[in-house]
Amino acid sequence: MILRIFTIHTVCFLMICLLSCGLFSCSKSNSGGGNPPPAPVTYASLQLYVTHVMNDQPLQRNQEYTNPSGEKFTITRFRYYLSNFAFVDESGRIIKSAPSYFLLDDAIDSTRQLQLDSIPAGRYTAVRLLIGVDSARNNSGVQSGALAPEHGLFWTWNSGYIMAQLEGTAPVINSASHEFQFHVGGYKPPYSVLQPVTIPLPQPLTIAAGKLPQLHLQANAGKWFTPNTISFTKMAVIMAPGNDAMQLAANYQHMFTVKSIVNGQ
Amino acid sequence: MNHKATYITGIFAILLCLAHACRKEGRSMYNPDAYTLQLPEGFPAPVYDFSRNPLTRQGVALGRFIFYDYRLSRDSTVSCGFCHQQFAAFGHFDHALSHGVGGQQGSRSVPVIFNMIWQKEFMWDGGVNNLEIQPLTPFTDHKEMGVDLKELMQKMQTDPRYRNMFREAFGSEEITSERLFKAITQFVGTMISGNSRYDSVMRKQGGAVFTAEEQAGYLLYQQKCAACHKEPLFTDLSYRSNGLPYLPSLNDVGRMKITGSTADYLKFKVPSLRNILRSSPYMHDGRFFDIYQVFDFYDHGTQRNDNIDPLVRDGIQLTAEQKRQLYVFLNTLTDYTLINNADLKEILIE
Repeated sequence: MILRIFTIHTVCFLMICLLSCGLFSCSKSNSGGGNPPPAPVTYASLQLYVTHVMNDQPLQRNQEYTNPSGEKFTITRFRYYLSNFAFVDESGRIIKSAPSYFLLDDAIDSTRQLQLDSIPAGRYTAVRLLIGVDSARNNSGVQSGALAPEHGLFWTWNSGYIMAQLEGTAPVINSASHEFQFHVGGYKPPYSVLQPVTIPLPQPLTIAAGKLPQLHLQANAGKWFTPNTISFTKMAVIMAPGNDAMQLAANYQHMFTVKSIVNGQ
Repeated sequence: MNHKATYITGIFAILLCLAHACRKEGRSMYNPDAYTLQLPEGFPAPVYDFSRNPLTRQGVALGRFIFYDYRLSRDSTVSCGFCHQQFAAFGHFDHALSHGVGGQQGSRSVPVIFNMIWQKEFMWDGGVNNLEIQPLTPFTDHKEMGVDLKELMQKMQTDPRYRNMFREAFGSEEITSERLFKAITQFVGTMISGNSRYDSVMRKQGGAVFTAEEQAGYLLYQQKCAACHKEPLFTDLSYRSNGLPYLPSLNDVGRMKITGSTADYLKFKVPSLRNILRSSPYMHDGRFFDIYQVFDFYDHGTQRNDNIDPLVRDGIQLTAEQKRQLYVFLNTLTDYTLINNADLKEILIE
């Protein structure tokens, strides 16, 4: 009898032990989540691929091209930031996705395959993005990830990101290295190069839970040289905000087109 | 037999629970000590947003170690503290222009770096927009410490002392530029000067009062200097052209380089007068080594340009007696609790 009582006690104790352990782990895992959101908005992801071209051919670094001013040149470096993605739905509303910042580098293939998460589900007719980094992130202290200063795209002497960078050589440039360096930045008026770019989609893009649609964009480096005609003899080194940078930015904001859309099954 | 099994299971369950609790304890081991900044009475609220970078004793200690580590420069010759000397109120004593690795010389004088948490822009021209990213310039400038940031962090990551200090300050050994800059910011944030004789007089601490000469100097300061060198920071942090003659050899256009506006030609940030007698030489290019040269410059040396500040357009006339009174007053702005603060002292590394 005594033994039996003892056993029952032990079993109780055991139960309490296990339960409390269970409860602790429950409360731990629950502490971040809280109740499920009441709104029926669901979020899903999108895979974004970016291919670089020079007008109608795939972009090849160190290959000779000719700009609209008739000047021969090669490209050695092509990098830019993409951020502030948003989607335009069929009624014209602009739906923002979660803040994310990407540094795309022609020399690193993996940087041109992005995944955008936390996009509100829906059918969208256009994509909006910023070529560069919004002004808030330009002046709120040290940033991490794609925005970390060691990527070499944060100006040291005049704070702010280089939003887009195109470098190469052109024999027409009258310097020892014949190099051109277009470092386009500036987040403060009157020299802000930030302007949201809207890319209309040829067919609706469906963002839905459980699907991973793919959007394939093409960035044409040739667009840097037009419609504002860029000549290396007039403009070879740009390393500060100003009119030259604004002209280039006005050109490159047209560089994206849609290559294909694959809505997930 | 049955209850023996129950016993064993029970003990096992208790052990499990304990192990679970221990693991939880282990995870929360990272628990740095909060560091409370003593802000001088009467100062405005700091501009720097500490909520992004809460001060901790370990963070400040790491920042101090980095600040005095000469090995972080390209040729292991200069540290932050090499140019920012405590006894010179964190300016560079006796050097008109800054100099760095490989014996290279910059084109401006080393600015003092106390009371930085009250500034919203940095450098003589205000080109740097946040205290946290200020270290980027001296680290990477080839005339200062001349390092590549990625290489620098790789180098630091190989040092067990740094790994340990980063773990203590930030919870893991990983060295990132964000942590690096935030640690430096924490240390520089503790360089506060608001405890000079002047401050004691203003706060009537221990019955402190100005001497007659100091008082005369203070009145002169209020009449002739305070419009730009505004209390309590002794600068209004504006950019002005004070009529300093342009030097073609340096070709320094000032803030125009940052804004691209001709309205900012030859404008530089108004420096603080706190600790001024300890932080010679003076002006953005360190051309004056003695404060009396500065008095003489304002008295009869200013040169008019299109942007000269109206306040100094006709100079600031000072008699010999007034210069002396002003000198005596400026002497009361020396803060020995800054220049002798043991917590800010250089750490000798290796």
